[in-house]
Amino acid sequence: MLSLRFAIPTANTFIPTKTKPKPGLVVQSGWNQTDLLSSLPRRCESYKLQAATADLTDGRGASVAELPEGLSRELMPKHVAVIMDGNGRWARQKGLPASAGHEAGVKSLREMVELCGQWGIQVLTVFAFSTENWIRPKVEVDFLLSLFERALKTEMESFRKSGIRISIIGDSSKLPTSLLGLINEVEETTKNNTRLQLIVAVSYSGKYDVVQACRSIAERAKDGQIQLEDINESLIEQELETNCTEYPYPDLLIRTSGELRVSNFLLWQLAYTELFFAQELWPDFGKEEFVEALSSYQQRQRRYGGRHS
Amino acid sequence: MDFNKESQMSCSWYAQIENRLLQLLWHLIHVTIDLCYFPLGIADVLESYLISWGLLGRYKSFNVTKLRYLAIVVDSEEVYRTSKIIKLLQWLEAVGIKHVCLYDNEGVLKKSKDFILEKLDGTILFWDAHENDVLSDRQHMTLEFVSFSDGKEAVVKAANVLFMKYSKSGATDQNQKDKIFTESQMSNTLITVGSGGPKPDLLLVYGPARCHLGFPAWRIPYTEIVHMGPLKSMNYGSLVKAIYKFTMVQPNYGKLFFDLHCCVCKH
Repeated sequence: MLSLRFAIPTANTFIPTKTKPKPGLVVQSGWNQTDLLSSLPRRCESYKLQAATADLTDGRGASVAELPEGLSRELMPKHVAVIMDGNGRWARQKGLPASAGHEAGVKSLREMVELCGQWGIQVLTVFAFSTENWIRPKVEVDFLLSLFERALKTEMESFRKSGIRISIIGDSSKLPTSLLGLINEVEETTKNNTRLQLIVAVSYSGKYDVVQACRSIAERAKDGQIQLEDINESLIEQELETNCTEYPYPDLLIRTSGELRVSNFLLWQLAYTELFFAQELWPDFGKEEFVEALSSYQQRQRRYGGRHS
Repeated sequence: MDFNKESQMSCSWYAQIENRLLQLLWHLIHVTIDLCYFPLGIADVLESYLISWGLLGRYKSFNVTKLRYLAIVVDSEEVYRTSKIIKLLQWLEAVGIKHVCLYDNEGVLKKSKDFILEKLDGTILFWDAHENDVLSDRQHMTLEFVSFSDGKEAVVKAANVLFMKYSKSGATDQNQKDKIFTESQMSNTLITVGSGGPKPDLLLVYGPARCHLGFPAWRIPYTEIVHMGPLKSMNYGSLVKAIYKFTMVQPNYGKLFFDLHCCVCKH
């Protein structure tokens, strides 16, 4: 959906999906609204890119694409978090197995990673698998973990070459050994990359994160590294799993599929995060939808309640 | 060579023209789509006013029992609009909401709680109702006032209680640590330190930014969050619409809420 140019109050957080034709809107036969909107801008922008990319580089020497109209590089969020919801529903709508939905979701993620790298976003955190997801059918859980393992293997070299650093957060105690080994390898291989940090939350929950931080602090207190009276918010924040990044607090959280909850994701870290709830299912969330979320973020007057911790 | 150069210049010129035409077409489409969405935005605003005037039947009376606990977050810069907040609470009472939690980052609403309670006949504090075991009393609305100190600061307090417990146990093994530092222990300890209120089903944010401004995060893992816009622009129709939409949602998350009658906190 294109960003609105008129000053209309945005109290209603439901953003209508652009995939359904609106009454009165003339749609060419053989095209749907998505096709119409998706083909022209890309072609138009590809001309701009051909002229621009050769000349534009960021401070790290990587090529940087020109931003879509309406977006400002100065106002780009440093850390974007995404709850990638809707793969299963997408597959059901199309009469496909759930696995097809998850495969389509991986493609959406690839596109988003690419866009974040091009547009100067420093950190992208994605909620791939929550602690609550373990109760899903074993077949689906096994498929998801194997899909994750395959994606990591396939993309490892690509991440290394394109300057993407991978970090995995979550409770690793339930993950298969083969996946754990691969995670260590990918994190080690990409640890010096600086173009974009992709944090993948697997077997993660916000409450688990706080509790494990407390466990770590207890361990340090037992070892005499800290005194109990020194324990404060800052110390807890240092021990959260998001301490793997320079920017642990997301500026923008996107959740797809129309749900209006954060579902136990980054609970501590989201106090002042702009929340954007998109109607589209995750496999349908592409460049235009991302631009809309970023536009909404950049237009919002954001204050932090006098506190930013 | 001159011919080649001329040929290249012509190609570049044609490419530029084509690019300009495509850009123009793109802008025309963009404006057309915007003009189509503009009436939708107007319709949304109109619907809110029709709801306020009681002209839309389905919003006139609907079952709100599904909404057991409602939280309202007010931005710091609007928290001094006490008359607006009282009006909002009166609307909620009229709709049939029985338990409301009011939050602002700085605790201004906490300081104004006596004034607010005075203006709302029969409204009592949530914790007083719990102590007197009148939570199920449908006659009165209850109010809870929370601030930033009930969020992260409360988690720190609860964590310190657990740390003391761990250090006093004298235990050094992993098992003991795993027994003490758990989500359920943290939840119970938050109740002990006075920050263990119910988990809201719905959280309405009044302010310019679409974020919850530090509302106690431990209480909102599965709470529906709706941004209502600035408090100064609040209207009855939007409020009713947000509550109505919540009652129509069928979420499929895990354990939903803290049982009001099982709270063990004593104030």
